[in-house]
Amino acid sequence: MPVPPGYHGCYLHVDLSTRSAVSIPISTDVLRRFVGGSGLGTWLLLEQAPEPSWDPLGASAPLAFVFSPLVGSPLTTSAKFAVVAKSPLTGRINDSLASSHFALNGKRTGHDALLITGSAEVPTTLVIEPDGVRFESAESLWGHSSREATAEIRDEFGKHLHVAAIGPAGERQVHFATISHDARHAGRGGLGAVMGAKQLKALAVHGDRQVEFADTARLVSLSRDLSARSFGPATAKYRELGTVSNLLTFNRLGALPTRNFQGGVFEGAEALAPDALAPDKERTRDSCAACTIGCEHIFPLEDSAAGVRMEYENLFALGPLCGVADPATVLKASARCDELGLDTISTGATVAFAMECVERGLIEIPGLGFGRGEALLEMIEDIAARRDWGELFSLGTRAAAEQIGGEARGFAPHVKGLELPGYEPRALQSMALGFAVGTRGADHNRSGAYEVDFSEDFDRFDSGPEVIEAVIRVENEAVVMDSLILCKFLRGVFEDRLAGMAELLEAVTGWDVTSGELVETAERIVTAKKSFNIRQGWTPAEDTLPQRFFQEPLPEGASRAAQLDEKRLADQVRRYNLARGWTEEGWVAGELPAETGLDKSP
Amino acid sequence: MKSAGTERPKITVEFFGIPRERSGRSAVEVEAGQLGEALREVGQQLPSLEGECLEDGRLLPGFLVSLNAREFTTDPTTTLRDGDCVLILSADAGG
Repeated sequence: MPVPPGYHGCYLHVDLSTRSAVSIPISTDVLRRFVGGSGLGTWLLLEQAPEPSWDPLGASAPLAFVFSPLVGSPLTTSAKFAVVAKSPLTGRINDSLASSHFALNGKRTGHDALLITGSAEVPTTLVIEPDGVRFESAESLWGHSSREATAEIRDEFGKHLHVAAIGPAGERQVHFATISHDARHAGRGGLGAVMGAKQLKALAVHGDRQVEFADTARLVSLSRDLSARSFGPATAKYRELGTVSNLLTFNRLGALPTRNFQGGVFEGAEALAPDALAPDKERTRDSCAACTIGCEHIFPLEDSAAGVRMEYENLFALGPLCGVADPATVLKASARCDELGLDTISTGATVAFAMECVERGLIEIPGLGFGRGEALLEMIEDIAARRDWGELFSLGTRAAAEQIGGEARGFAPHVKGLELPGYEPRALQSMALGFAVGTRGADHNRSGAYEVDFSEDFDRFDSGPEVIEAVIRVENEAVVMDSLILCKFLRGVFEDRLAGMAELLEAVTGWDVTSGELVETAERIVTAKKSFNIRQGWTPAEDTLPQRFFQEPLPEGASRAAQLDEKRLADQVRRYNLARGWTEEGWVAGELPAETGLDKSP
Repeated sequence: MKSAGTERPKITVEFFGIPRERSGRSAVEVEAGQLGEALREVGQQLPSLEGECLEDGRLLPGFLVSLNAREFTTDPTTTLRDGDCVLILSADAGG
């Protein structure tokens, strides 16, 4: 079977239970329809589904590490991989992305994806190289951070290996545990717990199998041009300031989630501004492999030579969302989440939710309350260890609210079980729709509808039917970026995003790709994700937001009095569903609809 | 001395993200009846923004104004009223 340029045309299926591995071909038709990354991972999960619905922490649960046609090319930010599985936090599809040498070397093993099923009898490191697969004991690594485990694996088996590993939180199956590579995380949705349930401490990869590219000269030219544009003003914010600079902007707009989404303005925001966290000269920068943007800003940390990477999301979640304005505490909390392997957004949101439960008298946790930094740090440790109240909160806010009961359900900040990121939905009402319909839950990376709110064409407080088309457009663009895969910080450098990305895919694969085809690809992938969720028990009632956002107007700041209208959001969801080609309620035609191509064998 | 009838609206211009980094200021005061006039005045007060974020009373691509932290615009003919706040920020909110 001829393999298209940019691909190996196969995936490696590793069964941890039988300690076996087999390479399985992927048809060109499937590769073109699902591209790679998030899209190809969705296809793999549907194709390899052990049964219609499964326990995400069960032995049969599939876990896919998926590369893409652009990986290994000279295109900036293309060294990325997607981890795709059913989330233990949401029970729905989850695709989390990370970057760097694991992507490059994982693909060089000679596969477009690594699919892992089964469960190891003892803690295991899976070593994958072109000449075979090894199952090494990880018993001595169990309990170690991903950083420590990575260093020990490379010391023992060779520096040529690149490692994706879980920390203690993943081992204990905290439902929002991450998978870490080179200090970057496939963070959302708890896929670290899926690894932990399989007793898979780490994957270590190395390879030398290069793919061919269809038009190397054109690809080099496009890469140079893209790199040049990536140095321009569209990425200056990320490069020079990092995303932490969003904090003051969002605060001024009244869109900074504060104290478990009770407000949109944090009085301590100035104390958490980048310059307050650390003077510019004390910060360092880093970048993923094959990236020219270099968005990572590393802040100094007491007792740590490595410092801590700070982004807007961990800053908002561990700071304002918990009412904590002490920079040292927020930096330390973020570093501990990294070490333990905890998603900072879900961790911050879960602790903030616990704080509000305490303040409302629903539960009693001595010392816990908004603004109490020491209690935040203690709860992070308890969650990772699943001890005391940390056991309950290790399941995330949805599950915790169900057990606490009563009014807690109304202010547990999640959609489909995934905790909201740092975009206040009452102040950014197109984003609210993006949260509601997102297949992996409340999420700013899969939807990106905040772009619609930050536009002069729409009213961020009065988002009606007119935003549907724009919300779908930015979601489609995100799906394509997550499948190619390219970093979303490149969005601003394309004059026409889909046309620009079609050009890149064409140079890599030789396919005659148009922006129209990429729209169809995005629609296919979104529908495939929806089909996956329907198989796992999705119901239309999931596509909404917590009651707080409908019942409590924002109390102060530039977005004062903003709130969402439940009926209006439901109407937007209905229109969104119809525009996606589904029923009003959001059902898709057929269990695996014909437009996904999954109704027939590959 | 200006008569009361010809006084131009007093506007506060606030800077966020790259505009704050380039200007080294968090805010300035200007007098302007339209956004374009305000931006031109800002460019004169803070030349470091010219060619970086602004150009002759217009925002460069990648930057956006929020009027009173409520509505977004790039239209230089946007009418300004006394006491208005003009926020100049990076257009890409991603993070």
